[in-house]
Amino acid sequence: MSLLELPVEQTATIDQITAGDDDALLRAMGLCEGQPVRVLRRAPFGGPLQIRVGEVSFAIGRALASTVLVKVSTPG
Amino acid sequence: MSAPLQIALVGRPNAGKSTLFNRLTGGHAHVGNFPGVTVDIMKGTLEIPGLGPAEVHDLPGVYQLDPGPGGSADERVTVDFLKAQREAGVAVLVVHVIDATQLELHLRLTQEIERVMPGVRLLVVVTQRDELERGGGGVDGVALAEALGLTVRVVSDQDEGERAALLSGLAEARGSEGRPWGPEEATRRALKRPETSPQQRSEAIDRVLLHPALGPLLFVLILGGMFALVFLIADPASALFDGLLGKLSGALRPVLGEGMLASLLLDGVFGGAGTVLAFLPQIVVLIGLLELLEGSGYLARAAFLVDRIFRAVGLSGKAFVPLLTAHACAVPAIAATRVLRDPRERLTTILVLPLMSCSARLPTYTLLVSAFFGGATLRKAAISTGLYLAGIASGLVASTVLRRTMVKGKGLPLLLEMPTYKRPSLRQVWARCRREAWDFTRRAGTVILAASVLLWALLKIPVREGGQEPLIERSAAAAVGKALEPISRPIGFDWRINVGLIGAFGARELMVSTLGVIFGIEDAEDKPEPLAEKIRETKDAQGKPAYTAATAASLLVFFIFACQCISTLSAVRKETRSWGMTGFVLAYTYALAYAMSLLTYHGVRLFTG
Repeated sequence: MSLLELPVEQTATIDQITAGDDDALLRAMGLCEGQPVRVLRRAPFGGPLQIRVGEVSFAIGRALASTVLVKVSTPG
Repeated sequence: MSAPLQIALVGRPNAGKSTLFNRLTGGHAHVGNFPGVTVDIMKGTLEIPGLGPAEVHDLPGVYQLDPGPGGSADERVTVDFLKAQREAGVAVLVVHVIDATQLELHLRLTQEIERVMPGVRLLVVVTQRDELERGGGGVDGVALAEALGLTVRVVSDQDEGERAALLSGLAEARGSEGRPWGPEEATRRALKRPETSPQQRSEAIDRVLLHPALGPLLFVLILGGMFALVFLIADPASALFDGLLGKLSGALRPVLGEGMLASLLLDGVFGGAGTVLAFLPQIVVLIGLLELLEGSGYLARAAFLVDRIFRAVGLSGKAFVPLLTAHACAVPAIAATRVLRDPRERLTTILVLPLMSCSARLPTYTLLVSAFFGGATLRKAAISTGLYLAGIASGLVASTVLRRTMVKGKGLPLLLEMPTYKRPSLRQVWARCRREAWDFTRRAGTVILAASVLLWALLKIPVREGGQEPLIERSAAAAVGKALEPISRPIGFDWRINVGLIGAFGARELMVSTLGVIFGIEDAEDKPEPLAEKIRETKDAQGKPAYTAATAASLLVFFIFACQCISTLSAVRKETRSWGMTGFVLAYTYALAYAMSLLTYHGVRLFTG
């Protein structure tokens, strides 16, 4: 599943980045495979997501969030 | 004497580079130009015991040293700077600034620095120690130095007594030993994880400030409060400054006499450039408050909140900070667009920035509003707010149009680090204010001074004999103003307003003082009332009032849209590297100003008869 579908406050692990040209930037900023990730909130009306990866919080647009594939580590 | 040592501060955005820069240089910085780099980089000097003089460069924040097509303009500046120094054979000492609360992540960039610049002298400065200690954590500098094989200094944000440690670190810094190390392992050895991290504290604050209902409400309150404060603080300060200039000018007048030279000095130099300095407080207060919000971490939240709306007009939340800065002055706002990594978004933002109501428009707004819509303070405040909102709305509309025509193409999605909330550093705010004040004064001292002297000549030197006719009507400026009347009539402007607009072409600050000269009022900026009265009471050839509410509204609208500012145009030229774009800004803002004034003039006349 992608970051976009991850329920708010559920912890997952980044599995794969499929952002094409933006892969390098995402990884450099800290969104890399194996990092724990959590969605803090979704802005209404299709606005961006606020996520927490490791010790950093990001605002990420939905289009980009859909390119970050995650694996839920702890079920429920 | 040998050339000073070159020190480059490198780090991720929000790592604390600028704070460190101010601490090292005492905030005394100026803008430097470098071969291979197109934008200005802050530069300061210092003396390192044991090493001698050094120059420190505060490079823009980077996430990677090999940014490729996805990098921001800021990232390219840093990469180009380091590359240019390498190619010129200059040995640079790199100071990598690292946030203690995100140690592992930042250490990856340290590794990249070692990889891209093998053997470079490197000092690692870990900042925000106190943030970590507040939650019961800590960084062991010695262990980190051992793990990395590099010189390390750990500093806090608040402690001012650490400069000596930083200087000794600079003297000790060597090239890396080339021993391989991993960020994860180094972090495990050096970091004591806190029980409560700054991230956790920030998440709690975010639950309020980014709340779906409360968040937008607080956003409006914070911004509204900010503008209210600008008027509360800056207005009396401007009046005081202006009063002092008026007194000085008044004291000099009897000494200098009535000659041409005295007039040039008093009316041209003092009346023009001097007036401009009186608007310094507005810019400084607004920039100071912006820096305060930036330092607190709130502006990234604001970007998050407005992203959806900005996306609808073809921008992203990141364009928010430049557009907000433009309300102080478009010039620093254009520089602030460098954080935008999407070139189309950046160009669009630069093109619409000049529509925001900058502080230089305020005196004209105030004059016209008090002359024609005066009365209740509340009504004046409502009109002023309306003028600001009209600027913002037109910017958003212009952006929508541009993104569907000239700057067509898919936008890059938002990706923005949201730093943890911090107590803003007042030293940092002060340094930024001082820098903006100096930049503004320098511009006032060149462009605006030149424009006011030229204007003085156009207004005060008669071009024809005219017996009883007032001098001003025989001036070159009046001749031009009258020649333009056929074009300006449809929007309600007569030759006097035309002359004012010509005066304001280079710098819109000069509008009020130019009108003051035309209507024969001294010190118009001190006391707008007499000028306002005179404008209101001026009669046309038929003996009817020459200026009505329709004229005033039309002129106000013209002022919202027209880019009457050479400094802005020159900044657009510098950042876009295109005369075409610069010409476009001038052409479209004037065309828009004319069209909207035409609508307003006839619209208001329809209602007022």
